[in-house]
Amino acid sequence: MNFFLRVAAVFRFCFFWGLILISLGSLSGMFLVFAMVKDLPKLPAPLSKIIETPQSQVYASNGQVLISIGERQAVSLGMVSKNFINAILATEDHLFFEHRGVNKLRTLKGLYVTLVSQSGKVEGASTITQQLAKNLFFSFEKTYARKLKELLVSLQIEASNTKEEILQTYINQIHFGAGAQGVEKAAQVFFGKSALDLTLPEAALLAGLPKSPTNYNPFRHYDLALKRRDIVLNRMAQAGFISESEAQAAMLKKPELRHEQSDSRTGSYFLDALISELISKYGEDVVYHGGIKVYATIDTKLQSYAQQAMKKGLENLDNMMGIGENAPDHPQGALVAIDTGSGAVKAMIGGRDYYESEFNRATKSRRQPGSGFKPFLYYTALKDLGFHPATILTDKPVIIPVKGAADWEPKNFSKTFTGPMILKKALTESVNTIAAQMVEKVGPDAVIRTARTCGIESPLQAVYSVALGTSNVTPYEMATAYSVFATLGVMHEPFLFWRVEDAYGRIIFEHIVQEKRVLDPSTTYQLVDMMKSVIDIGSGKSIRALGFNRAAAGKTGTTDSFNDAWFTGFTPTLCTSVWTGFDKEKKLLDSHNIGITGGRGAAPIWAEFMINALGSDPERDFPIPDNVHFEKVDTETGCAPEGQRGGREPMTVPLKTDQQLCRDKQQ
Amino acid sequence: MARYWYEPLTFSEWFKRIFSFLNIALFMFTAVFVFSEFRFDWFEKIVGSYLVSTNALRPEIGAVWETGKQTTNAHEYLNTIVSKKEDIRQNANKAGSFSELLSSLLPGEWVTLEKQQFKSLYLSLEKSTSLKIIDPARLVWLLNGSNLDRIFCEGIKGGIKVFFIDSDNKVIKEIELRKGDIIEIENADKPITGILTDMAGFQGRIYPAQLFFDALLKLPAEIIPDLMVDPDALLRQEGKIIRVGIFNEAVNGYIKLGFEFEASGGNQIVFLKGREWAVWQLSLNLKGAGN
Repeated sequence: MNFFLRVAAVFRFCFFWGLILISLGSLSGMFLVFAMVKDLPKLPAPLSKIIETPQSQVYASNGQVLISIGERQAVSLGMVSKNFINAILATEDHLFFEHRGVNKLRTLKGLYVTLVSQSGKVEGASTITQQLAKNLFFSFEKTYARKLKELLVSLQIEASNTKEEILQTYINQIHFGAGAQGVEKAAQVFFGKSALDLTLPEAALLAGLPKSPTNYNPFRHYDLALKRRDIVLNRMAQAGFISESEAQAAMLKKPELRHEQSDSRTGSYFLDALISELISKYGEDVVYHGGIKVYATIDTKLQSYAQQAMKKGLENLDNMMGIGENAPDHPQGALVAIDTGSGAVKAMIGGRDYYESEFNRATKSRRQPGSGFKPFLYYTALKDLGFHPATILTDKPVIIPVKGAADWEPKNFSKTFTGPMILKKALTESVNTIAAQMVEKVGPDAVIRTARTCGIESPLQAVYSVALGTSNVTPYEMATAYSVFATLGVMHEPFLFWRVEDAYGRIIFEHIVQEKRVLDPSTTYQLVDMMKSVIDIGSGKSIRALGFNRAAAGKTGTTDSFNDAWFTGFTPTLCTSVWTGFDKEKKLLDSHNIGITGGRGAAPIWAEFMINALGSDPERDFPIPDNVHFEKVDTETGCAPEGQRGGREPMTVPLKTDQQLCRDKQQ
Repeated sequence: MARYWYEPLTFSEWFKRIFSFLNIALFMFTAVFVFSEFRFDWFEKIVGSYLVSTNALRPEIGAVWETGKQTTNAHEYLNTIVSKKEDIRQNANKAGSFSELLSSLLPGEWVTLEKQQFKSLYLSLEKSTSLKIIDPARLVWLLNGSNLDRIFCEGIKGGIKVFFIDSDNKVIKEIELRKGDIIEIENADKPITGILTDMAGFQGRIYPAQLFFDALLKLPAEIIPDLMVDPDALLRQEGKIIRVGIFNEAVNGYIKLGFEFEASGGNQIVFLKGREWAVWQLSLNLKGAGN
């Protein structure tokens, strides 16, 4: 009897308190709704309006679309494979068509697990409508207030839209990773097909991604994505969308991914640089939401040649250095190619693999150019000191006193001294002691002035060694500056896009190619002639050995420590700078522990690229200014050759009309 | 009421109390309330409908609205650029002179000019002064012979730059027009008040009108038109010419001649241009007359 009374008392207690709690819950629920309503976001009508953000597009010089920024391709439910619809319903919310925005039992269970159970787990119970509400209006902070607001908005979504409209909006805005938002885009990105054509294994794989687009990114974690896909297939079977045997059959299939790797990043160093310039010019809103059309300078054919050349060049470098495929550290590379006639950037590579490192070494990595800086010194000496390519200087040990610091004693790369020689030979063989004597005469400030005139913007230290390339510069700057030599002294500002239009085709910006004469043409021609012999017989002769036979000029650059290997060179129409080296301070040494020079490391990449880039373009030589004539000269005496003295091959040098051989026998 | 309450003492009393009409009614009501909600989702429907009714009054906040605002901002910004350009274009197209064109362009602003418009601006200038802008022969080549695509004008500090651009967007000819120069070019045929002896550049080359015209009229008849390329301004000016000066510098093959008129409101000087070689011939005559 006592037992019965106790049970009855408990029953009575539970019943009345239950009633009180339900009443209080209802009252506070109503109070919360009224209190929160003013803070809830307004819903757009129709809901699909949210997908109508115009996309900005970047076109290559041949009209090909390089990238669509902010792209969403909305499709109706009828244009999506039934497999995918079933898969997403089974995975995310199999009772979608039965609830009114909230799955009460799952919510109660979720609340119990989160609040009462000792597991410490937070169990989610979001329906598709709730997820849609969250994605459209709320941040991802986990608070009860946010959750409640999300719930209320989902009730409104349900009240004002049909289930089909909700589902269509949902599948068009969910993120699948790899830069794909919406099912149509995802189907294109991962499988290169329309959402309508997705097979069951493909649809299940896609439906599994929204849970964690990064962790299940099939481009990177294919096995994890397959495991997740199998879970989706099991859920589809449990929900009755497919049979068990269909699920098992689908699990045996491995969907073939589209070959091109993709993600939310641009995948291109050039596009990164371009977008960053556009943002600094117009702001993020215009670039990402303005629906602008940008006509870029890049030539997709040249870019592809550049990628091939860089890949091959760096693989050769790996082999030369004995670096295995799985080694932790590989040398990096950068390449910039500029159309000399306009300044348009035609190709840009900022590193070995964009997806491993987005750091754009072409525009942001400042490295010592080594002897690649000597042309600025030579031009300055020709201009300011009245030197010409046949001026004689002596390759000898040089000690240059430096105020307040130790004397500067530059050494030759070969560690030997060969005595008197003409300047053309000195540049061809990249003799440091002669460069040092010249910079002592002209002063580092004059060399820096020349470099600045040609477009070098990085900080340059006003010390003698600046002439031997001890101040850091970028490959972009080197290509810009050497372009000035290619045009015999005419500067064209480098640029990345020709035109920007708004969504209606109205021109917002247009690049006008302006020429500015910054260097004397005949002096520049003399320099270019000297740089031609660098490629023909000097430190860059590997280029000829690789089959590049056009008229071209350039200069290798290798830093003392072999940390950097450069080659920057040009034809009259195209100027290209190539850098190779490690990101960190590490020497480029081959398997015999011999340092890798610009001629061995960077020049082959340059040659491979230029051969393909110039293809069947007509061959052109640099135009000879009217006041320039050519003379043969003995490389040791600087005078007209008298027979074959000491087996020395004479050189041909360009002289201006007011210059003559042997006038100043020795400077 | 609670004072009279007592705990039931027997099982039957408990039974009666539990299954009283009130309790059963309350239980039924609660059960119907809970189960009808689970069955018909009326709570969600009521709240959803209420929220729909308040939708218009609620703020446009949240990620999707932010994106919308960014799109609106972007379009507004782009429209500002476009309408500004359109204003500039309309003002530039209305310009009847280079100085009007100049005043329609602030530094950094640009506009594309029709070939025809540039031609008419150029032709509105006096023949000898238009040379200062661009040689007619070169202009003819640019407009009618070269692969000129468009003419692009950009405002710079204190003037404008005119770029003649080919179809590759390359500048094939660039002219810089400073404000002062344009005003001078456009007002070249307008008289200024003053006397020649106060004008820099004429010293030592100022002659009495009689002497000047005697020497001029001694020249062969075919030379005289080259000495006074545009004599309209001289013919328009009222008063008597008392002195004539020859400028000490030739510009674009022309030498400036200053004619000082005696007038009631003060002396006025009218400038003309003479071809360099014709002025040189005249100078020889003047030297001869002086000797």
